[in-house]
Amino acid sequence: MFQADPQLSRALARLQPKAKLDLQQDQLRLVLVESPGQPDMQFPDIWLRDNCRCGECYLPQTLSRLPQLWNNLDTSVRVQQQSVDVEQQLLYIQWSDGHASQYPFAWLRERDFALAHRTRYLSDFYRPAPQHWSGLEFGHIRREFQYQELLASDEQLQQWLHQLAVYGVALVRQAPLEFDVLRRLCNRVGFMRRTTYGDEFSVRAQPGASNYAYLAAPLPLHTDMPYFEYKPGVTLLHTLEQSDSPGGVNLLTDAYHVADLMRERHPAQFRVLCQTPVDWADIGRDGDLEFHNIWRAPVINLDAEGRYVRINHSIPQRDSHFSVPLEQVRPWYEAMALFVRLANEQACSFKTTPGDVLTFNNLRLVHGRTGYDDTDHNVRHLVGAFLDWDIVYSRLRVLRNATR
Amino acid sequence: MWLQRVGRSLGQGRRHLSAKIVKGTSIEVQPEDGESAATMTFPGVWLRDNCRCAVCFHGSSKSRRLDWDAFDTRVRPLSVRSDKAAGQVHVSWSDAHESSYTLAWLRQRSFDTQRQRSYLEDFYRPSTRHWAGAEFEQIAQHFDYEQVMAEDASLKQWLQALAVYGVALLRGAPLDEGVVRRLAERVGFIRRTTYGEEFIVQAKPGAQNFAYLSLPLPLHTDLPYYEYKPSVNILHCVVQTKSRGGSNLLVDAFHIADRLRSQHPEDFERLCRIPVDWNDIGSEDGREFHNIWRAPVICLDAEGKYARINHSVPQRDSHFSVPLEEVEPWYESYARFVRLARDDAHAFKTRPGDVLTFNNIRLLHGRTGYDDTEQNSRYIVGAYLDWDIIYSRLRVLKKHAPPPANKS
Repeated sequence: MFQADPQLSRALARLQPKAKLDLQQDQLRLVLVESPGQPDMQFPDIWLRDNCRCGECYLPQTLSRLPQLWNNLDTSVRVQQQSVDVEQQLLYIQWSDGHASQYPFAWLRERDFALAHRTRYLSDFYRPAPQHWSGLEFGHIRREFQYQELLASDEQLQQWLHQLAVYGVALVRQAPLEFDVLRRLCNRVGFMRRTTYGDEFSVRAQPGASNYAYLAAPLPLHTDMPYFEYKPGVTLLHTLEQSDSPGGVNLLTDAYHVADLMRERHPAQFRVLCQTPVDWADIGRDGDLEFHNIWRAPVINLDAEGRYVRINHSIPQRDSHFSVPLEQVRPWYEAMALFVRLANEQACSFKTTPGDVLTFNNLRLVHGRTGYDDTDHNVRHLVGAFLDWDIVYSRLRVLRNATR
Repeated sequence: MWLQRVGRSLGQGRRHLSAKIVKGTSIEVQPEDGESAATMTFPGVWLRDNCRCAVCFHGSSKSRRLDWDAFDTRVRPLSVRSDKAAGQVHVSWSDAHESSYTLAWLRQRSFDTQRQRSYLEDFYRPSTRHWAGAEFEQIAQHFDYEQVMAEDASLKQWLQALAVYGVALLRGAPLDEGVVRRLAERVGFIRRTTYGEEFIVQAKPGAQNFAYLSLPLPLHTDLPYYEYKPSVNILHCVVQTKSRGGSNLLVDAFHIADRLRSQHPEDFERLCRIPVDWNDIGSEDGREFHNIWRAPVICLDAEGKYARINHSVPQRDSHFSVPLEEVEPWYESYARFVRLARDDAHAFKTRPGDVLTFNNIRLLHGRTGYDDTEQNSRYIVGAYLDWDIIYSRLRVLKKHAPPPANKS
């Protein structure tokens, strides 16, 4: 039964007007929702009006807001009457524009503006918070998954993607030695990310290679394709044949940890690597497609809140063009040499065996391999592919929703 | 243009050339050829890093192979010598290495501010020019579909117009469903999304995406809920509605941002700073998705230039992960952005055979509502391209373009 409880339905909770705040701050209009045994919640009235769930304002089949209100949004809309139905756990609002809305408490609680709730939503559901690791800690954070289990079990799939999101690396084992393994794995998540090198690509030594990775020489630590604004998010490398020579060893470093070290111990060099744009390039062709890819961005990329969003590093794919003022060149080289030294010091190494699929965050980790020697009977052969984080996180959220 | 200037200087640089060590670590190159006699200074550490010999540089992959594990940034030039006849500079280094650089190669990489700017604005990514709705007819360029498919010069002009103005119209395309794929493959390849590669925009009752309804579709950008938002929209009109509606609406949101920046700086600041949760929840071909990306409406790069606009009323999440006190002011500012955009929108109606292409990072698009009948139902085929792929193609086309006729 609907009941307007005067104690629960305090009409408006205004913030105390503070001197010197601008007009709009003075007019902060909040709706207070109290429910017994639960913390109070506060919601801005305009946000509630914007997110009305009725058939005129919201289309359930698309799970999206209907746009008509916004053809002429009245931001001065006010709550005229507010009440709650404790039994039904519903908030009712009568608006100054004549509209009426109702909101389930559970829906409101999921959208609570309290800091603790927002923090949990962002670091649990939106994108799991990464945990950085040093080379010594690799043994503790490394996790293995079985290929067949990933294909068959949603729970295993979720754990794999979560491991990738938090630590940036995971090893998949016991995959068949077939060319379609990466496609099946990617389709299990969503779909492959295509690049100028196609969908899947073969990594093996080729004479006259058009890409530096297609040589048997040592491949120093790097991220793949820094020359794209839309750099592939996750690299998958399936070992079909490993080198019998002592080389071909995988090297991996968490470059976010390297950035942490620089931030703490070498702040000046850290700033230089965050602020100096570098020209990354790849010039060549693959099949019929001739390309000249360039992207200008620093080595360490931060978001507005100072968190790492991307690391760019590749000695072969760094352009000889360097479009910065002359006086920034030497300080950048000194900072970069320090980054390379620290990344080498922090590298962990291991050698994959046939059937392994190494998966890692290409925006965060730098990877490489030691040089090797092919013979007539032993030709190291890896197949690679990429996934994008948009697709990985989406899948992770769907899996989490299903198990919640 | 940057490339042609380089080409011209190639022939002229050979007559005179001198080079010397300055400040112990840098090298100054003086091509004494009158017209472009400006001295060029190169940091020694950069020259050493970019040595062109076979040990330091891998020719077939055009990649640096210098061993950075052993690279010492304190490396200094010991002596420098210029070879006028060959147009080369030779350097001996403190690490016992020897390097040679051609004058043409050095010129292309000059640290001179003007030269760098022209490289960045002509070759890297053409500078954008922003436009008001009233200017649409002046800036909108039309191209012939068959010509774009057949001629590189036409392809280059189309991509250049897209880069600079963010919109271009192709006409005379056939009415088959393969047009957007052929066009995308003329540039590179289609960018796939949650909704597949090509997508059909037609009224579908019970549609899971708001665009697949015949209702008016207010101004928006596509897929703001991706960190990697598709860059360029290709919309091929196969059947247009005969009803009054179905008109396209387009706005240059960089122009709207310019106006906010100058006339309403507080609104501009909020729209640049406050992150919004954009989302899309649903399924396509039995595949469930839950896409979310948090970003402001106006995204700036480190230099304060516009990197991206996000706007969509249906795809804005009811989750709004910001402090309570940011909410009301943000709504005021966003409402102003929406009003300014709506008032500036240019409306036009594509015809069958038209392919509308526009920058989805920058422009807002929409359409008026329409009524389908059984004999006449609006049918648009769409696909996306990414800027990485378009700019790459444009650079390749510019490198291969025949130099313009010499005016002198």
